[in-house]
Amino acid sequence: MSGARALAERLRAADASGLNATLHWSEELLLAEEARVAALKGAGARLPLEGMPVALKDNIVTTDAPTTCASRILEGFRSPYDATVVTRLRSAGALIAAKANLDEFAMGSSTEHSAFGRVLHPTHPDRVPGGSSGGSAALVAAGVVPAALGSETGGSVRQPASFCGIVGVKPTYGRVSRFGLVAFGSSLDCVSVFGRTVADAARVLSVIAGPDANDATTVDRPVDPVGAVPGSLSGLRIGLPAEYFPADLDPGVRAGVDRAAAALRALGAELVPVSLPHTGYAVPTYYVLAPAEAASNLARYDGARYDARRIGPAGDLPALYRATRGAGFGAEVRRRILVGTYVLSAGYYNAYYRKAQQVRNLIAADFTRAFAPGGVDLLLTPTTPSPAFRAGEKTEDPVAMYLADIFVSAVSLAGLPAMSLPVGLSEGLPVGAQLVAPAFGEARMLEVAGAVEAALGAAREVR
Amino acid sequence: MKIGREEVLHVARLAELDVPAADVEGLVAQIGRIVEYVAQLDQVPAGEQAEPFQGGPERVALREDVPGSVPLVRGPESFAPEFRDGLFLVPRLGSMEGE
Amino acid sequence: MAWETVIGLEVHVQQGTRTKMFCGCVSAFGDPPNTNVCPTCLGLPGSLPVPNAEAIRLAVRGALALGATVHHTSVFARKNYFYPDLPKGYQISQFDRPLSTGGSVRFESPDRGTVTCSITRLHVEEDAGKSLHDRYPGHTAIDLNRAGTPLAEIVSGPDLRSPAEARAYLVALKQILVYAGVSDCSMEKGTLRVDANLSVRRTGETALGTKTEIKNMNSFANVERALTAERERQVALLESGGKVEQVSLLFNAATGAVRPTRSKEDSHDYRYFPDPDLPPLVLDEAFIEAERRALPELPEARRARLERDYGLSAYHAQELTGERAVADYFEATVKAGAEPKSVVGWVLGEAMAGYNADGHFAVSASQLAELIAAIGEGTVSNQAAKQVYAALTSTVGNPSPRAMAAQLGLVQVQDTGALEGWVDEVLAAHPGEVARFKGGETKLIGFFVGQVMKKSGGKADPKGVAPILQKKLKD
Repeated sequence: MSGARALAERLRAADASGLNATLHWSEELLLAEEARVAALKGAGARLPLEGMPVALKDNIVTTDAPTTCASRILEGFRSPYDATVVTRLRSAGALIAAKANLDEFAMGSSTEHSAFGRVLHPTHPDRVPGGSSGGSAALVAAGVVPAALGSETGGSVRQPASFCGIVGVKPTYGRVSRFGLVAFGSSLDCVSVFGRTVADAARVLSVIAGPDANDATTVDRPVDPVGAVPGSLSGLRIGLPAEYFPADLDPGVRAGVDRAAAALRALGAELVPVSLPHTGYAVPTYYVLAPAEAASNLARYDGARYDARRIGPAGDLPALYRATRGAGFGAEVRRRILVGTYVLSAGYYNAYYRKAQQVRNLIAADFTRAFAPGGVDLLLTPTTPSPAFRAGEKTEDPVAMYLADIFVSAVSLAGLPAMSLPVGLSEGLPVGAQLVAPAFGEARMLEVAGAVEAALGAAREVR
Repeated sequence: MKIGREEVLHVARLAELDVPAADVEGLVAQIGRIVEYVAQLDQVPAGEQAEPFQGGPERVALREDVPGSVPLVRGPESFAPEFRDGLFLVPRLGSMEGE
Repeated sequence: MAWETVIGLEVHVQQGTRTKMFCGCVSAFGDPPNTNVCPTCLGLPGSLPVPNAEAIRLAVRGALALGATVHHTSVFARKNYFYPDLPKGYQISQFDRPLSTGGSVRFESPDRGTVTCSITRLHVEEDAGKSLHDRYPGHTAIDLNRAGTPLAEIVSGPDLRSPAEARAYLVALKQILVYAGVSDCSMEKGTLRVDANLSVRRTGETALGTKTEIKNMNSFANVERALTAERERQVALLESGGKVEQVSLLFNAATGAVRPTRSKEDSHDYRYFPDPDLPPLVLDEAFIEAERRALPELPEARRARLERDYGLSAYHAQELTGERAVADYFEATVKAGAEPKSVVGWVLGEAMAGYNADGHFAVSASQLAELIAAIGEGTVSNQAAKQVYAALTSTVGNPSPRAMAAQLGLVQVQDTGALEGWVDEVLAAHPGEVARFKGGETKLIGFFVGQVMKKSGGKADPKGVAPILQKKLKD
């Protein structure tokens, strides 16, 4: 059976299981993808991802399938251009496998806020897979694809990677092009990668990374190759920030991070306590900045040019706008648009938006100090305060949902590279540890993660 | 800074978002809760003059003035809700006329 | 009690770039609707802006030409509002950190001599698309070809004191920007647009009155008309005990009246914030200095120099510098060896008739200089030169004016024998006039010269004819 047909079987089985992780895929497209890769190979192209199926979060635009952002307002929309990351994946020989479900416009931490229904946790259907890239995470965790693209604004790949027991890598802001990633919080958004293994995630990242003339926020610097898994980490200094190990941290999560720490120590790394004093302000800072940018980014969905149009009773243009947007956006998106509009509105800008950008600088400075010469090379923290929570558990109180991202949002605000890697189970649920690196330090971070992965895998086998 | 019904309806108008009457009370509570939560940033000492954060490149890279844009594989008529004679159509401007 | 008028203008000019402000679509005028569009200027999901270096360079030029301070760091900001020709629901502009601040325009006011109008700021932004309100009943039609074309917005201080003065300011500003090569500044093509703010106050008061904003004026003359109408409206309102409301008004060129727009409630809360898609615009000192050095001489300096170097009158200097191409033509002709004062007459007379909108003259500067030299040396008469000039305008390949004069048989005859022959014939034909001349009516010399010229078909050199006539009439 061809790779494409086998992939179609797996996708069909995943859909039949009720996982609800995909929004669009077709066997026909998969076969076309496979033929395209074969043609590239025939033409002698170098294909570092030859035949590798990669799922895309459905906020990454593609010309051959709809892009809905899991929103009614984009229902039926087919982009007339491809995202830069899609073009790069294809040139590298990857197969675009499916468009994956997400929280509407990537706003959420549980993938319960999709207009097309919630995504199930792959092993515990009553729980959430995390979010907002829950569909991509679930497809990788369920073994449907070896890798997938998600997007991060405030932890939307690391948090679901942790919940689903897979690898999730967020690059430095500016490392990967956002051209074709539907904007949510533009100063935070990063196309990010899920993989079954560190190596798979690293391969995909190395293909999509690098400057793009169509994205003025990409940084023009070469992408360092990820070296072999190091046998020794002697001389490496890893910081354990006190603020990420609160007294009420889930014991299973703590144990998982301890295992990773022990593995690092065994490889010769030195673990040192550090402090990131402004960590507690990360979530409120994020919930000013991201909604403000979102309110502006989502203004274009007005029913005039390319989306589901609903004519209001008065039939004039403002009525069209209000009806289309009122009915087209789900509850969480509407809440964020309202909050974002409020914090930018006359009289409140300085108190909220400007203040949040200033605090963001303090948060970033915490990391700069930790990584300064004489400081540490990487940070090790839990990815989330607890394993995957139950569906419906946090939908009533938006702030409780936001706090699920407490360990991932500071890194997003600082624009740093970070990743979650699986470090064991807590009462049967996967637990992730987070590595954080200085800006553009992805390669070293991935090498160290590879070493931890190998060590923990070996430990598991011994046990 | 307590956010009330009037503020919520005001920002809903700014954002061109219909809020059904039945939802207003719930939204006021939720928005109020979120705004109250983020207002803790007040406590952070950061003077008026503190620099706001700037991520990504330090300076914008400029594009040469050479024609050539990302092509559309399908024209606007393929995604526009209403399109005639090469033009997007929307309902009359109504109360926005002549802005 | 007299009223004082206070006017400030916001002028948008479209920089003369090939492509749009934030994407590589061509910024052409007059193409079929929605053809010069791409993901970025359509505001499609996922699209991003990348600024056009040339649009920035031209804006910097404009700022320097106005004597403004160009800032090393400026910031793009989003101006958020809903309008169907604004595809993203926000316009990328600049807000609290514009490209430049300061600067001024000095010009001759029709009312009060030389006036210096301050410039508050110049910033760059993108244009919106075009809304067509009357094409389809019940609908507004949108063309996004113009969406995303580059604009420089130039905001003046409230320094103008009459509608006519506002118009004179616009003429001077346009001259500067065209000289500097920023824009062609054509209101007809929409590459220059004006929004005006006007208030009135009792003479002697220092506080500003409530201002209104007037839009939709399509010529400098209409700016003046609209401001006049609005000034009268405000004065009448205040004199009848009313109050001016801060509103936006549209000018109707057909009726000459202004009417309020039905502007949306809250429409002025634009929720500006720095555009997260665009890092700061950083301009090095070296770049700014290079642009400053590359600036051409601007109209005011050029006027002064033309007066000084060529001994021209203020009036002629003003006329010649109205357009850079005209002044360039004048100077090139002088440089090619012609005497400046005679060049003025030709440039402002004959040459302007053959001058077209793209700054091209039908007869080259060296041709004109040669023609003027030919007059000076007596090869052609002034009259004949005009015929030669006309022939040159319709002949390709820049022929020599002297050769052209010869070809047309317009070379003046200076040969004494030939002149004497014509003189003899004229005197023989007019015995009565000869007798009156001899009787003391010496002013008849002009009549005889004219007759000789006529006889020669305009070819006789009048300077050679007169002495021969004098000599023969004495005999």
